[in-house]
Amino acid sequence: MRDGITVAKLGIPSVALVTEDFWPQGDFVANSLGMPEAPRVRLPHPVAGTGMENMRAVAERVIPEIIAALEADS
Amino acid sequence: MNSMLSAKDEETALEELHRRGNTDGLPVVIPTRNRVERMVLASGMDADMVLGTMGPGNGVATVEKIAIAAVMAGCLPDYMPIVIAAVKGVIDPEFDLTEMQATTHCTAPLVIVNGPARINCGPVNCGFGIFGPGNRANASIGRALRLAMMNIGMGRPGSSDMALHGHPGKFTFCIAEDEEHSPFTPLHVARGFAPDQSVVTVVGAEAPHSVMFSGDADDKDNHRYLLELLAIGVANMATNNAVLGNGAATIVLNPEHAQILHAAGLSRQDIAQQLYTRCVQPVSEISRLNPGFAGRAVKDKMRHCFSSADQILVLMAGGSGLYSMVMPSWCAGAHKNAAVSVLVEADQFCEIPGL
Repeated sequence: MRDGITVAKLGIPSVALVTEDFWPQGDFVANSLGMPEAPRVRLPHPVAGTGMENMRAVAERVIPEIIAALEADS
Repeated sequence: MNSMLSAKDEETALEELHRRGNTDGLPVVIPTRNRVERMVLASGMDADMVLGTMGPGNGVATVEKIAIAAVMAGCLPDYMPIVIAAVKGVIDPEFDLTEMQATTHCTAPLVIVNGPARINCGPVNCGFGIFGPGNRANASIGRALRLAMMNIGMGRPGSSDMALHGHPGKFTFCIAEDEEHSPFTPLHVARGFAPDQSVVTVVGAEAPHSVMFSGDADDKDNHRYLLELLAIGVANMATNNAVLGNGAATIVLNPEHAQILHAAGLSRQDIAQQLYTRCVQPVSEISRLNPGFAGRAVKDKMRHCFSSADQILVLMAGGSGLYSMVMPSWCAGAHKNAAVSVLVEADQFCEIPGL
């Protein structure tokens, strides 16, 4: 979330990928950095270490959401 | 003055502070205007003086807000110079407080006090049970820092403090070095301060892990066994330091173990250097057990577990006997979990009448 906002503040469209368990922290960071509406896409938790097949499936599922968020941001 | 809350009595006020998430779960002293003003007065500083911002919530740490945390934690006004120095330490950019509060790892700032403030602004316990209960200064100074991190820095479990388990040192984590009995140069002197200066060193640390060693004075390798065990304890293959290969460590030698190393002719710096040299792990093992963290390192190489000997904090404290304590660290963040030392400005302290 913090990285996404840092990039957004540089004027570059960004979307933060936040897993389910870290969604409340994403809200907290977005609020504390003054960008409560910073675009983010929800991923299942966990993603790391779940194997290439699963990560590919997750990526395919969220790609349209990421693109939609980027288009809305621009 | 911060916005004031009101309640019909202290019992109601306590429940309200619990409800608002302003406590660590234990009862706190209600920070009434009078109590906070006395604590500010003790600091010798202006209430609205800004020390910096505390992450991850970016709250502004004024002397008054720190005094509120100190009152709530149960501090005596005498402790304020140490509390202020500890807050200054964690808000130093080199400490990476935002990242440290937010990490999933179980790290907490350990406050180590050196110099005359151990007595004048305490006493801060440096003997039996330093990490345990029973000493007001240790308990309340560490707790004041935690409450400041929660209420100014806004580190709250599960939403901004993402430690998966935390550890008991996240309630309070404050010790002093037993300089009077230590055979070594005190920690703060080794870090560039004068012996008569008072210094707070903060370092992100896991909970203390015990290292048992009974020793045999007739064995010429006695001290080597102890060093070997300390190295195993602080950088075994399950630690972040071994896997990520960086960061600081804290080694709290008990007086008996300190004497064994001293008798072998080792200085504090020698011990740190020996541990730095000994704390290495084969990349092949990191690659086998935690492949995601092996990185691009060459597999037949050994990797140091710590940034440098200077980041291995060695001090003597606790009761005498079989056990020393070691604390690995998180070792991430931009500055790799560096320790930070801050001068305690006790000359600003103002004696509070009636206490």
